[in-house]
Amino acid sequence: MAKPKIGIYGLTGCGGDQLMILNLENELLDLLRNVEIVAFQEASSVQQDEEVDIAFVEGSVSTELDLERLKDVRKRSRMLIAIGDCAIGGCVQAMRNQEMTMKEKMEEVYGKGEEYFKVLEPYGLSKYVNVDLELQGCPIETTEIRQVFLSLLHGDTPEIKDYPVCVECKLNEYQCLLVDKGMPCLGPIIAAGCNARCPGLGIDCVGCRGPIMNETNAAEELHTLLEKGYDERYIENRLRFFGANFEGILKLSKMLREKTGGARGK
Amino acid sequence: MTSESLDAFVNNLETYGKIYGPVKTGESCSFQEISQSKEMALNYSRTMIPPKKFFLKLKERMFIFDERECEYEETLEDGKIVVFGIHPCDIYALKLMDKIYLDKNPDKYYQMRRENATLIGYSCHPDEYCFCQSQGTNYAVDGFDLFLHELKDKFLVRIGSEKGNKIASENSKFFMDVESSDIQEFREAEGKREKEFTLKLAINGLTDMLALSYESDVWKEYADKCFGCGSCNLVCPTCRCYDVVDNVNMDLKSGERQRMLNSCMLKKHGLVYGGKNFRPTRVERLRNRFNCKGSLREDMMNCVGCGRCTVYCPSKIDYVEVLRRVRGEL
Amino acid sequence: MMENVFLPKLAKIVKNEKMTAMEHFLRLQLLDKKTAEEFQYNLGQFIEISIMGVGEAPFSICSMQNQKYLLDLCIRSGGRVTSAILRLGEGSLVGVRGPYGNGFPLKEMEGSNLLLVAGGLGVAPLRSILQYSLKNRAKYRDITFFYGIRTYDTMLFRDEFNSLLAGGDESGCKFYLSYEDPKDEQCLLLEAEYSDRCMSGVVSKLFERTEISPKDTYAIICGPSIMYKFVGQELTKRDVPPERILISLERRMRCGIGKCGNCIIGDGSSIRYVCKDGPVFTYWDALHTKGMI
Ligand SMILES: Cc1cc2nc3c(=O)[nH]c(=O)nc-3n(C[C@H](O)[C@H](O)[C@H](O)COP(=O)(O)OP(=O)(O)OC[C@H]3O[C@@H](n4cnc5c(N)ncnc54)[C@H](O)[C@@H]3O)c2cc1C
Ligand code: SF4
Ligand code: SF4
Ligand code: SF4
Ligand code: SF4
Ligand code: FES
Repeated sequence: MAKPKIGIYGLTGCGGDQLMILNLENELLDLLRNVEIVAFQEASSVQQDEEVDIAFVEGSVSTELDLERLKDVRKRSRMLIAIGDCAIGGCVQAMRNQEMTMKEKMEEVYGKGEEYFKVLEPYGLSKYVNVDLELQGCPIETTEIRQVFLSLLHGDTPEIKDYPVCVECKLNEYQCLLVDKGMPCLGPIIAAGCNARCPGLGIDCVGCRGPIMNETNAAEELHTLLEKGYDERYIENRLRFFGANFEGILKLSKMLREKTGGARGK
Repeated sequence: MTSESLDAFVNNLETYGKIYGPVKTGESCSFQEISQSKEMALNYSRTMIPPKKFFLKLKERMFIFDERECEYEETLEDGKIVVFGIHPCDIYALKLMDKIYLDKNPDKYYQMRRENATLIGYSCHPDEYCFCQSQGTNYAVDGFDLFLHELKDKFLVRIGSEKGNKIASENSKFFMDVESSDIQEFREAEGKREKEFTLKLAINGLTDMLALSYESDVWKEYADKCFGCGSCNLVCPTCRCYDVVDNVNMDLKSGERQRMLNSCMLKKHGLVYGGKNFRPTRVERLRNRFNCKGSLREDMMNCVGCGRCTVYCPSKIDYVEVLRRVRGEL
Repeated sequence: MMENVFLPKLAKIVKNEKMTAMEHFLRLQLLDKKTAEEFQYNLGQFIEISIMGVGEAPFSICSMQNQKYLLDLCIRSGGRVTSAILRLGEGSLVGVRGPYGNGFPLKEMEGSNLLLVAGGLGVAPLRSILQYSLKNRAKYRDITFFYGIRTYDTMLFRDEFNSLLAGGDESGCKFYLSYEDPKDEQCLLLEAEYSDRCMSGVVSKLFERTEISPKDTYAIICGPSIMYKFVGQELTKRDVPPERILISLERRMRCGIGKCGNCIIGDGSSIRYVCKDGPVFTYWDALHTKGMI
């Protein structure tokens, strides 16, 4: 059997997810024996624009160029896997989506009257192309990418965790920070896969893996944290930090904006 | 047994296996390995994870396989344990688990661990979340090897099995005969304890109430509050649902099959071929959970009134409150 | 040594044949002779097939018990395990556990008419009953088979059913076929040839074509979950008592023996495990267990 061809590409993002693939180190070498890597942005400058079996794409679509490249990669790949929150929901970059226009944002950062490169409001890949699989995380977990690689090489569709961090807390018997200590943990609405790393260290979940697709009860998270005495704006920001483009959180933000009549601090 | 002998008795239990007892971990409690009785917080109300974890592990490897050898090889670790300080509700819960896991197709993993374990019960006092009295699980009649009832300066010890009897006779130096004054004291303590229960749930006819309320709006109302986080099931001493995954090693030929506890509050629990889900939203999932817990499947109440699901629900969904709503009491 | 029920037994694939775009016919032979001989199953029971590194899934056995200890299955691909099975060639090994579940009450049905109603892949367990009842023809009265397909391309066991159509009542079974795509050419051709036995529409429409005598008929339904409601209603309308209408359910299963709880259904007064209390239930059960159909 011919070795599957793999391409790893980056759009607008920090490159952290590609780095996590490099972090596989020794294992990476073993894995590489089984595949042919035709493009790997972070690891080498060689880019071959040929057909690939599996394309891993990191980063959000934030410029016209990103979009062009994404469409090109989609055309050339049998399977397209979005890696990292940026490629899924826009991640941190999308924190202010739909709050201000892109022009306002650029002006705020670069000053008025500057010439900007062609920017788009940051979104994940699935807004534009068909995505076969999404690996959440900011960055993705090495254990997860390892499992996905192994699954694919074995010939199977990888199983992605579609349940909240709380499950992993319980399976590890970690104390519940939200219930026991009243900490503003986002675990109940955030996709597992990190093996509840932060709660295990006594740190409340900030939601770096992003909310669970179509299952997020953001309104209840707000309600729960309000009851614990946290400030509404603080909670909203916390929710939007990694999840601003996710349906449940978008809806919540919209509701809150309407409630306050659009008046919002920056 | 006198209160002073407890330390020495617990030390002696080492003969029967590794000793586990309730230990304070932060604000919660957990059954952990101990070497001395003073490490235990014996006045604990409940551990977050119930003692079922000793028998149906939170996650465990079931067996390993190798495609080259075409072989499945079981991986069972063996070892005797003593679980010290189990409360009556958890003892009842294990009785239910036994009915399921030790039926005509016994689960070898569970069975082995169960046979290797000595259960030592310990009396407790209810807090505002306990409603075992309503469920009829506040006094363990059997299902333990020994049961220690704490009295003023001594313990009244009940023997619940042959294994318990053996331990008692091998440690006879710690035990004294029961005097009639002890019985009087025990009776008074139990009577006092019965009155300590504040939380009550009427369970007569509950099974039918649940069936009749299948289409009730109550489910939707609580589903709106629910995260679908599964905590309620994962901390429940009678929830036994688990999921299974295969993990392959780097050689792509060998690997393991693993199982871990599952929850019917999660999306995958009802998912079948073609993405069809028999419980697509939290409404159906929550309803399923309460119907399952409120049933008499295996001829006993599937909820033992331990209060864990209420305490550990991040959204503060109160088990008793929901069922009272279902009954139309609230 | 205590037996570990979760440890699969090895079986060899002796046949793996494409039947339609989605479905494969799989024939397995248990490697260990003693295991094979002890492997006695009731029709309607299922087995768990394991593929190393991929997982495990339940499948109905679709043929009657035979002397050669072969297990026939009909597998629709698409998921992890099912796609992996597809990849495996003849001679490959898989793991098998079972047989599990209750199966159909064949003894109890003796002396009655049988009405088998299959939709799509639901034909798999019903085929085993058809085989059995035709082989033991004297034990049963009229045997009627309704098979609903979407298009001719998706029809399973085509040769077998075509010969039932061609054989008419001589074949020992009154076979009726319904197809959902009214423009399907091959189905139209079949209809032209056997107009009394083949029509377009959903499977419950076939009731228009035949009389059933409610007093002494057992109806057995297997197909997608929505089918149970419709066919159940048709049968009740015709006075077939609900306890003589049998259905076979599908749910997520991880263990097959009442442990993993994934297949739990029902309400407070009736919690059922599909794997150990079923997969065969009566329509009466369905009417008294919420969420069953
Ligand atoms: C008693 C019984 C008898 C059966 N008999 C047969 C038979 O004879 N023939 C047959 O072909 N089948 C039969 N089935 C069905 C068969 O068991 C399933 O097709 C099989 O379990 C699929 O397993 P899999 O590993 O291939 O799919 P999996 O990969 O486990 O996926 C299961 C299903 O869940 C869906 N899924 C998984 N993850 C997600 C997700 N994140 N989001 C959305 N959807 C998801 C998939 O669409 C898939 O269909 C039977 C089932 C039962 C219970
Ligand atoms: S600590 Fe956070 S993630 Fe863990 S169980 Fe509690 S709420 Fe869930
Ligand atoms: S349902 Fe709740 S109260 Fe009842 S046994 Fe389970 S965790 Fe305890
Ligand atoms: S309540 Fe849910 S998780 Fe618990 S045993 Fe029942 S089905 Fe399983
Ligand atoms: S613990 Fe509470 S929020 Fe989580 S699934 Fe259970 S009821 Fe819902
Ligand atoms: S499949 Fe495990 S309990 Fe039914």
